Amino acid sequence: MSDDERSLRLSDIAGCFEGIIPAEIATASADGIPNVTHLSRVDMLDDDRVVLSNQFFSKTTRNLAENPQACVVVIDPATYDSFKLVLQYERTERRGPIFERLRRDIDAVAALTGMEGVFKLRSADVYRVIELEQIHTKATDG
Amino acid sequence: MIEPQVAEQLESPCSLLVGTVAPDGLPDATRGWGVDVLGPDRLRVLIAADAPRTLANLSGGGRVALTTTNFRTMVSWQLKGRALLLEAASAADRIYFDEFCAGCLGILVPLHETAEERISRMIPAGVVACEMLVEQVFDQTPGPDAGARVAPVEA
Repeated sequence: MSDDERSLRLSDIAGCFEGIIPAEIATASADGIPNVTHLSRVDMLDDDRVVLSNQFFSKTTRNLAENPQACVVVIDPATYDSFKLVLQYERTERRGPIFERLRRDIDAVAALTGMEGVFKLRSADVYRVIELEQIHTKATDG
Repeated sequence: MIEPQVAEQLESPCSLLVGTVAPDGLPDATRGWGVDVLGPDRLRVLIAADAPRTLANLSGGGRVALTTTNFRTMVSWQLKGRALLLEAASAADRIYFDEFCAGCLGILVPLHETAEERISRMIPAGVVACEMLVEQVFDQTPGPDAGARVAPVEA
């Protein structure tokens, strides 16, 4: 994506990818039924791509197989500003450096929240960022 | 359809996620800012007024998913159905919105060990009201059973 197409860059909101505040993901089935849930981890892969943790959100995975678009909301833990990302699914990784890095992050989150027996990374899903925008609130509009 | 424990959580300060979908299949996510349980399958959901995609998706009876999560326990349910009505917030809605935000701050400030002014930055300038017909309810608590349907009960 060129700078002309998107003034806000993923690197501008790097704090959102520290994994401190859970993100949100919406997907939709082929027949137009939405699904929305929390997401443990969103990492920035480069300035055009993010990688999302896939632990057990089976409905999300089924939806993406039918309709490879997603909408993710992330929060900057320092400012509590929120950002919306429109994503296009690219690929899934189940081994390799991207997967291992995300697995370490998930293990850390699980240890912090006492969810060691629940949180287990199944795959690292790579998405291209189509749109990135800040969500307007009373504070940002103030 | 909406079990008492689900209704109780919906009407408490909690995390509320709203998922919708555009006619071209593009999903959208936003937050909810208070829910009033109107009946066994009816909700009044407050949504940020400045959420143009969500509001466009809901107009004309769009499909909607609403996920509620307890901030402390992570117990979650997802309710799916469709929008029946989208209208300006009433005075009662605005009072309910203020009470919901105050309740959430009362939980999140100590939980996040963060200043109220900071968390308050997430609060929208205003809300609109969406009446939702609930057709299905799912257990969404993190874990291997997440996504299991709890209502209507499968035969």
